[in-house]
Amino acid sequence: MTYARYADSLFLDPVLNDANVDIWILSNLYDTLLLPTDDGKGVQPGLATEWKVSEDGLTVTLTLRDGIKFSDGSPITGEDVKFSLERAAVPDTTWQFLVASIASIATEGKTVTITLAHPDPAFISALTVFNTAIMPKALFEAEAGATDADKAKAFAEHPVGSGPFMFASWERGSTMKLVKNPYYWDKGEDGQPLPYLDGVTFEVIPDDATRILRLQSGEVDGAELIPYARVDELKADDKLNMEMYPSTRVQYISMNVRPQVNGADNPLSNPKVRQALNYATNKEAIIQIVTHGVGTQLTSFMSSATPMHTGTAPLYPYDLEKAKALMAEAGFPNGFSTSLLVLAGNQDEIGIGTAVQQMWAAIGVKLELQQVDNATRTQQYRDGTMNMRVAAWTDDIADPNEITSYFAYSPTIDALHSGWKSEEADKLYVASQSEIDPAKRAEEYARIQEIFNAEGPTVPLYETPYPVALSKTTMGFNQIPLGNNIFRAAWLDK
Amino acid sequence: MTLVATAPVAKRRARLRLPFTLVFGGTIIGLSTIVAFFPSLFAPYDPAAMDYNALLQPPTMAHPFGTDSFGRDVLTRVIHAYTVDMQIAVFATLFPFVFGTFIGALVGYAGGWVNALFGRVVDAIITFPFLVLVIAIVAVLGPGLINMYVAVSVVGWVFYARLVATEVQVQKRLDYAHSGRAMGYRPLRIIFRHLLPNAITPALVYWMTDMALAILLGSSLGYLGLGAQPPTAEWGVQIADGKNFMNTAWWISVFPGVAIVVTGLGFSLVGDGLAELLRTKK
Amino acid sequence: MLLVPYIFRRVLQLIPTFAFIIIVVFVLVRLLPGDPASAILGDRAIDANVDRINHELGLDQPVFVQFLVFVKSIATGNLGNSIVLKIPVADLIAQRMPVTLMLTVMAAVIALILALPLAFLAALQRDKLADNAIRGVFQVGLSMPVFYLGIILLTVFGAKLGWFPVGGYGEGFLDHVHHLILPALTLALSLAAILMRNLRAAIIGVVGAEYVDFARAKGLRPRLIMIRHVLRNALISTVTLFGLSIGTLLGGAVITETVFAIPGAGRLMIDSIYGRDYPVVQGMTLALAVCVSLTFLLTDIAQAWLDPRVAR
Repeated sequence: MTYARYADSLFLDPVLNDANVDIWILSNLYDTLLLPTDDGKGVQPGLATEWKVSEDGLTVTLTLRDGIKFSDGSPITGEDVKFSLERAAVPDTTWQFLVASIASIATEGKTVTITLAHPDPAFISALTVFNTAIMPKALFEAEAGATDADKAKAFAEHPVGSGPFMFASWERGSTMKLVKNPYYWDKGEDGQPLPYLDGVTFEVIPDDATRILRLQSGEVDGAELIPYARVDELKADDKLNMEMYPSTRVQYISMNVRPQVNGADNPLSNPKVRQALNYATNKEAIIQIVTHGVGTQLTSFMSSATPMHTGTAPLYPYDLEKAKALMAEAGFPNGFSTSLLVLAGNQDEIGIGTAVQQMWAAIGVKLELQQVDNATRTQQYRDGTMNMRVAAWTDDIADPNEITSYFAYSPTIDALHSGWKSEEADKLYVASQSEIDPAKRAEEYARIQEIFNAEGPTVPLYETPYPVALSKTTMGFNQIPLGNNIFRAAWLDK
Repeated sequence: MTLVATAPVAKRRARLRLPFTLVFGGTIIGLSTIVAFFPSLFAPYDPAAMDYNALLQPPTMAHPFGTDSFGRDVLTRVIHAYTVDMQIAVFATLFPFVFGTFIGALVGYAGGWVNALFGRVVDAIITFPFLVLVIAIVAVLGPGLINMYVAVSVVGWVFYARLVATEVQVQKRLDYAHSGRAMGYRPLRIIFRHLLPNAITPALVYWMTDMALAILLGSSLGYLGLGAQPPTAEWGVQIADGKNFMNTAWWISVFPGVAIVVTGLGFSLVGDGLAELLRTKK
Repeated sequence: MLLVPYIFRRVLQLIPTFAFIIIVVFVLVRLLPGDPASAILGDRAIDANVDRINHELGLDQPVFVQFLVFVKSIATGNLGNSIVLKIPVADLIAQRMPVTLMLTVMAAVIALILALPLAFLAALQRDKLADNAIRGVFQVGLSMPVFYLGIILLTVFGAKLGWFPVGGYGEGFLDHVHHLILPALTLALSLAAILMRNLRAAIIGVVGAEYVDFARAKGLRPRLIMIRHVLRNALISTVTLFGLSIGTLLGGAVITETVFAIPGAGRLMIDSIYGRDYPVVQGMTLALAVCVSLTFLLTDIAQAWLDPRVAR
């Protein structure tokens, strides 16, 4: 099967990668001890058949499956598991926070015992995440290079894992070929060994229109990231299945709420101003303009597909009068001028910016749009020199802890680099990170969401599914809410 | 062969009045300029106003060119874009033309090591990655049209300079230049009074093409997000906006495209006409 | 003819040019806001990670120290590793430059095939129907943004008629050519329009010039006049323009490469600029400089042939 992607992968190392273009396909190459369920919310057996968390939450015991092998035919041992998890837990790497609770790992035969420094309710979910994928220790360490980073570079050029597929070839910027892993352990519902496909070829086709055209001409079997504007058109194409996979993707505007920005007083530091902007934003209209009806309004800062999401009603329904009143109360009856960063050339972000520019003019806010590239934007974001930006977020773990850490827990990145801080939210987050009673943890997250949604530094806009178009003959493909493209049970119907 | 027969006739006829191409092209550019100065007189709506209940409407009586994905009137935006695009056509090319022609004339006349040095400057500028330059300039000045003018000017002048230099080199070997020198005219006088009028035609013709190219560059930069910023109406950005709607709402991109063609045609005709005028004046 | 020493001199002159370009690019990319770590990590950038990456890359050193390291590695023929893709820059250049060169050469050939005969036809039929039709069609071609024209060509000749693949680069030389015809045509159209207009005007100008009258008076046959005098003289500025345009094409085919999903140098360049992948931007700039300079050298030689006095 051939699948058209918008961009090529960069670095096929489970631990040291940084981008969705890697993350979303890694599970096809590398297997994890546990696997996410198809809805992305639960956990099912992977390389480990059983797992048990001790009463005190400090010890996790897993049992490895019998006869598991890497795609080169060598057996997967406890040593490989220990090596891989310890590598994932090296500090200061991007994804280390997911497994930061690991204190030590011991293996004996098929039993893996992980001791945690503190109870970690998200740990089992973390064992389904790409960075805990099991790598062949012997092969990795045989690579040239003095450091782990050098060895990783060499290894990622011809990776070996135990996922349903194995690496065959890679023309950078053009095609990557994976072929069936003959040693893969799982069987499909029909009792046949997985994967069904002989292989998957990824083609890089950055232009949306070309990607669609190539699918329509039958040269590829699937195409990701269909522009929302074309979803209806492709739904009507009887040679295609236009799939909308549920996702954890949320789109929002984030603000800098420090009292002063670039030496000037900052109106956005006033919660009433932020609420006014929220009420003045006609989210339903934006959903129509930008997503052509594909998106739905947010009911919390996290997506409704994220575990422990709360909220039933859309946040801040459009109410111009209320917005005007709040602006007057805040001392800005005539509005103010500010600016919004949008990613250069990104049609969705430009659309959002253009729409809110017009909407906020109604409460006197003069908004200047600034299109900048990603690195510039990130710099301004991190330096705290921007006023506002358009942004999107997708979870990497089936747990609310990642998004909450970035959005609401100020020690991580200052709550989206906004300078916003809630003592209560910070405390609740810390407590939730070692709370093993699911009910209590859910309560903590409910309260964090309540606080953040009421006065947080964002204008929540919408959540959208992943729009993927497949040929009518493509079956069994799935993209889970975390974004992972799952080809293990896919087949082409002849 | 027709060439031999027609050329002198055409010459004689042209001497009598302005070339038709110049008149026709000039009329297009004249009208465009009027629209550019007073867009509100012609546009039926406010260019930034959105109608959420009339998104992607096909052409109707109320919206002759339809509406875009924001429910904005496409006709209004095409008209308002005249202001921006006529500016782009002129500001992005005027400096390169004037400066490039001047340098090119001097370099071409001097020849020798001056020409060799100039050749290296051309190499360096053309070789320099244009997009690095644009992105760097955007980083310093912030995004917007000014950057585009600056970036285009930094690179564009070498085209004119090299065209003129080559042509001057050829012209200065012809008899009339020798006789100018023999009569003791100063080099500058020879260059600008005698050589340049004969050598400028390629640059002039290219200038008029370049204006259409500048407008188009706006659309390429719009595709990359580095051109005119929303909510400014600009043809190139309008076409880029309409890219996702080529099958479902063709009017978003086709009408601005027609505007580019017509305006570009106007400039091209003026270029051809001026070239003719220069020739017949000799 | 003094062609050999001329070429030798020209090649020598390239060295300072390359040095200049490299220094400017080296400084400029570092002046861009943001650093590779911010570009790679994006919204998830945490200070500790950013510092780790910058340290690994040696970007926490002063710029002049970085420059010395860079010069040292160039002197040993090493262009470094890509920050984003983690592979040697030399490998990337070897993969991407040939693609772009081939695309550019094909575009240039198509442009010449379109422009030369039609320019003559237009000039000879000046202001008649043929001339107006040719000029009109090229004006439309000139006014079409690459991404728009590209999609139309792909839809018609790729998806509908099936004559050409819908994007991509293929495997093997003939397959590459097959894949590159539509993108080359897309690129060629505006270049052809520029050349056609220039050449048409030049021919009209030369035809009216004294030496053609003189040749005619000498009793030369019209076709000989055409070839020996008109074409040679008219082509001089066209060759100049052609060389310059090829130069910009080499570095500027980004959008064509994106629309047609061609893994070429232009796309790598812009990805690398956006990714703040300094070694790749530097290495690619150098590679482009070599290619562009060679193009200029060739056009200069062509000019020297058309008018030997230019070489002096």
